[in-house]
Amino acid sequence: MPSSSASIFQIGQTSSFTCTSPAGRLSARIIVPAQTSGEAPLLVLHGISRNARELTELFRPEAERTGRMIIVPHFSERDWPVFQRPTRKARPDQALLALLTAFEAAFPDQAGPVSLFGHSGGAQLAHRFAMLFPQRAADLHLAAAGWYCLPNETMAYPYGLADSASPRDLFWARRHGAGLRRFLDRPIHIYVGSRDTARDETLRQTPELDRLQGHTRLARARTYVQALRMAAAAEGCPPRIALRELPGCAHDVAWAIRRAGLARMVTTPAQTGLSSAA
Amino acid sequence: MTTALTSQLDSAKWSFSTRRVDRTQICDLDTRFAEARAGDLILAQVDQIGQHRRIQLPSGRPSDLFPGDLVVLACGARYAPDQFEGIAEIAPDGADMLAGGGCIGRMTARNERIKPATRLLPKGRLLGQNGVPVNLSQFALPDPARPSEIPVIAVLGTAMNSGKTLATAQLALGLRRAGWKTAAIKATGTGAFGDYNEYSDTGAHYVGDFTDAGMVTTYLEELPRIRNGIDRLLGEAQRRDCEIAVMEVADGLFQRETAQLIADPWFQSRISGLVFACGDAVAAAGGVAELARLGLAPDLLTGMLSCSPMASREAETATGIPVLRKSDLSDPAEANGFALQAGADWSRAA
Repeated sequence: MPSSSASIFQIGQTSSFTCTSPAGRLSARIIVPAQTSGEAPLLVLHGISRNARELTELFRPEAERTGRMIIVPHFSERDWPVFQRPTRKARPDQALLALLTAFEAAFPDQAGPVSLFGHSGGAQLAHRFAMLFPQRAADLHLAAAGWYCLPNETMAYPYGLADSASPRDLFWARRHGAGLRRFLDRPIHIYVGSRDTARDETLRQTPELDRLQGHTRLARARTYVQALRMAAAAEGCPPRIALRELPGCAHDVAWAIRRAGLARMVTTPAQTGLSSAA
Repeated sequence: MTTALTSQLDSAKWSFSTRRVDRTQICDLDTRFAEARAGDLILAQVDQIGQHRRIQLPSGRPSDLFPGDLVVLACGARYAPDQFEGIAEIAPDGADMLAGGGCIGRMTARNERIKPATRLLPKGRLLGQNGVPVNLSQFALPDPARPSEIPVIAVLGTAMNSGKTLATAQLALGLRRAGWKTAAIKATGTGAFGDYNEYSDTGAHYVGDFTDAGMVTTYLEELPRIRNGIDRLLGEAQRRDCEIAVMEVADGLFQRETAQLIADPWFQSRISGLVFACGDAVAAAGGVAELARLGLAPDLLTGMLSCSPMASREAETATGIPVLRKSDLSDPAEANGFALQAGADWSRAA
């Protein structure tokens, strides 16, 4: 079991928590509501702005309202220059596994799959983590990822599951595809701002990516949802995939939470019509 | 039990293979060594130090042996091409220490590169109430009321030292890291703590071997008993809430019991995944062909072969099966994919 430096967790408070793993250290804040419900804990993954502290504050009311425990990791720039997806050199997936194991050790009654929320680069990590370890995700909430690993072979890994020229990518493509049916067999909620259409320097742009996933985050979210639905149908999974376009929102997650109620949508998935029961 | 016997048994070094024995059940001893059968407990005195200079204790540490030491081992056979072949026979004037884990018998063949066996002078066969010999089988795990259902990934290999134990341990580590309650099991072989400890060090949820099923060795045991031993081990793994098992089968594909087991329809239907450990590309091709003849296809190759990128490429080209290094097996992403494809269910799922 990974070692952890967890101190005493205070009910109704936010505690800091650090654990080690073969991939390195990862710190997280854990919001422990005054009264916990039986709902799956929520893991909130920040994007490249690394605004874990801000997300903690933005999600805190939802923890208290729903009784869900909320875990907000912080991938520091020093320890995690790359955290958006597992690569040969960076293994945020291993760090998240260690974090969840340590969390379960501290809160045995909360053991089980977690809800996964990620924004931008965090959504990138969230959907890849869920593909690799689908049994660990009760449901998935992806907000404005820049691009996706499509659940089909229309693109080579890391954009899809087709073979690439790199032998190591073969490993990753196989790993992401091994549990594909189980990945598709859970509720997946995609969120994107209706105005998230800027092609700035943080958006990955290649001719093939633009052509096959779209030119903007909005277009890419729509492409991904379509690909998910087709893959789910091909696997015989019931369609539990929802796209929410957030009116008036661009790429700012704080804005989407404050103005469009994104955090409430995530913590109350019934509003989107999909159950989180796995 | 007499004070003298109590004193002797208390001072004796009990071997690892006797770790499940309830010593309070021992009442007496006899010297009817001709009647000894596999699994009977033998009190012996170290006569001459040979190949085995140490005995493995139940605590998991080795103990140096000195002439005159009293030891308790189980009568048994041994199959170890790099050491001895031996049978479960005890001669009253002297016997051989066939394995450091606690196997006493008669050596019938020896690898040229190793020393003669450590010689032991049998002092007595341990007896329970009513003069019945105390046998490891009396302390075996219970026969499960119904067969276990957890998925089993089998690990086979070309021979001893092809990398099976490392593969088993590393895969168990990867599965544990991915969050699975994992059983690491050794189905066949001769009792020793090396593999057991290597499995345990991975943090596997349950570790067991055939000695837990009442056999000091599976060599020369009949297939139904070996099957039953596997059933007991998997039953125990399930009783302890394991969600998946990684199970090593000892020695090479042509070894007597391994060959019988892997050809057995029950075994073939019971496993959900197959890892094959081998030393080079030719061994990989030969092993895969032999397994195909039996109707089995490995999901992946590993072992000493995987240390060499060139040998790995040759093997992949020859067999079409991916070669994984130990670091790949212990990678939770790799192990998790294997578990899911083997049909594992996470019991904590909502």
